[in-house]
Amino acid sequence: MSAPICLSDTQAQPVGNVPHHARARGELKAEFAAIGLHTRIGRVYEAGGLRLRYPKTQIGCEAVIINTGGGIIGGDQSHMSFEAGPRSHVILTTQAAEKVYRAQSQDKIDQAQINVDLILRADSCLEWLPQETILFQGSSLKRNLNVHMEALSSLTLLETTLFGRLAMGETDVQCDFRDRWRIYRQGALIFADDIRLQTKDSHILDRKAAGSGTRAMATLLYIAQDSEQRCEAVRTHLHLQTCLWGVSAWNGFLLIRLVSAQPDLLRRSIVDLLRHMRGCEAPRVWN
Amino acid sequence: MTALPDQVLFLWLSPAFPVGSFAYSHGLEWAIASGAIENDQDLHDWIQTLLTHGAGRNDLVLLAAGWQAMQKGNESLVEDINQLSIALSASRERHLETVSQGNAFIKAIQDAWPSPNLPQLVDRIQDLSYPVSVAIATYAHGLTLKPVLAHFVMSYVSNLLSAATRLSLIGQTQGQKLLNVLMPLMQNLVEEALESSLEDLGGFSLCADIASMQHETQYSRMFRS
Repeated sequence: MSAPICLSDTQAQPVGNVPHHARARGELKAEFAAIGLHTRIGRVYEAGGLRLRYPKTQIGCEAVIINTGGGIIGGDQSHMSFEAGPRSHVILTTQAAEKVYRAQSQDKIDQAQINVDLILRADSCLEWLPQETILFQGSSLKRNLNVHMEALSSLTLLETTLFGRLAMGETDVQCDFRDRWRIYRQGALIFADDIRLQTKDSHILDRKAAGSGTRAMATLLYIAQDSEQRCEAVRTHLHLQTCLWGVSAWNGFLLIRLVSAQPDLLRRSIVDLLRHMRGCEAPRVWN
Repeated sequence: MTALPDQVLFLWLSPAFPVGSFAYSHGLEWAIASGAIENDQDLHDWIQTLLTHGAGRNDLVLLAAGWQAMQKGNESLVEDINQLSIALSASRERHLETVSQGNAFIKAIQDAWPSPNLPQLVDRIQDLSYPVSVAIATYAHGLTLKPVLAHFVMSYVSNLLSAATRLSLIGQTQGQKLLNVLMPLMQNLVEEALESSLEDLGGFSLCADIASMQHETQYSRMFRS
């Protein structure tokens, strides 16, 4: 839980055991601009417990999102929006895996929300490469990811989600999880993804058409001029991986799904995949 | 149109309607070839997941939303729902599956079952998803939503069972038994879809999605998906 903001007494109605005012409201807004051959951070707005830091990198401008609260509890809300200016190259990642703790109830008020808006101006390149999100037993999270792309921009989107802390015995985790992606290219919706898990969905992770025993999943979407041409090489690369995978390309984008019963194997596959896709290592904070 | 509503739905959502439904297995062909589905119990489980957490359920939600948008006379909303429906495709072949059947469906309606109530957008839009094309045609012909949803979900399941039969996983009688067993679930889904909105979209049929991706490079295959 990150730093609370103050609300007036009338708004501070206690809900369950945690009073409403103790729920985090984090906000991040940042704009990036190309200056010569380099990308620099422009205007930044940080509120609540969210911060951005910029380690030195070889290519582009890397920004590391830090949740100073060290996790997310039910009812927390964060809103992030990032804009890659014309011809800029932006890499966004997170400092560590994001922990989503048990929610007090499955009511809407106890649902954590993360909203991410990404804007890619003409000819820009944006890579969204956060580390894993770990869903604890009883957690409740709704994530919305909206992306708007202008002409000739290119995008890499990655999200990795772990279901339960296996080492803590959370082997059949029940959680409320929604992950909604909406990707617009020049105003037109070209890709949508809706992951929806509910606490009542018993054993769905083990059903063969669903998770087939998975405890970790990753989705990678790549949208660039060369996405369809790269499909075959990505497929060849994935043949060496031990997790269950699928890759497909259509309408100018490439979609990769990876699932595994072992989160550490999945992470290794993702690090290899990022190296293959990007031609360089995953962001340094991943190590 | 002089046919009874039940007759119309029976015809439009039958395997004989010229949308080429026989050519699509929704990834089943790979699931069977790879050993993920080995027998009728696995198949039952697989289809059940598609119905509760996969395209089976999502397509009903999209069909209902499309039909209700038609009822409101809101063509631009119908277009948005169509775009969303297509964008939700899980793979290249699943995209082909929904768009080629959707386009073929509306063309067959225009040619064989024309109606002055068909909206202009069917001529303007390049691609229609299968559930949205069914929503448009059935509303234009004055068919009520609930039986449309019921026939649609039954045709979805029948088509999967027909594919499994042709892939020699089950016999025809086993297929009918499974259809019978899945009936209560299908009815629940219809009731839920009637009360649903686009906010209810979503699922978790990851391995079925992966199966349809893997099918693209399957060595020997009969189906287009």
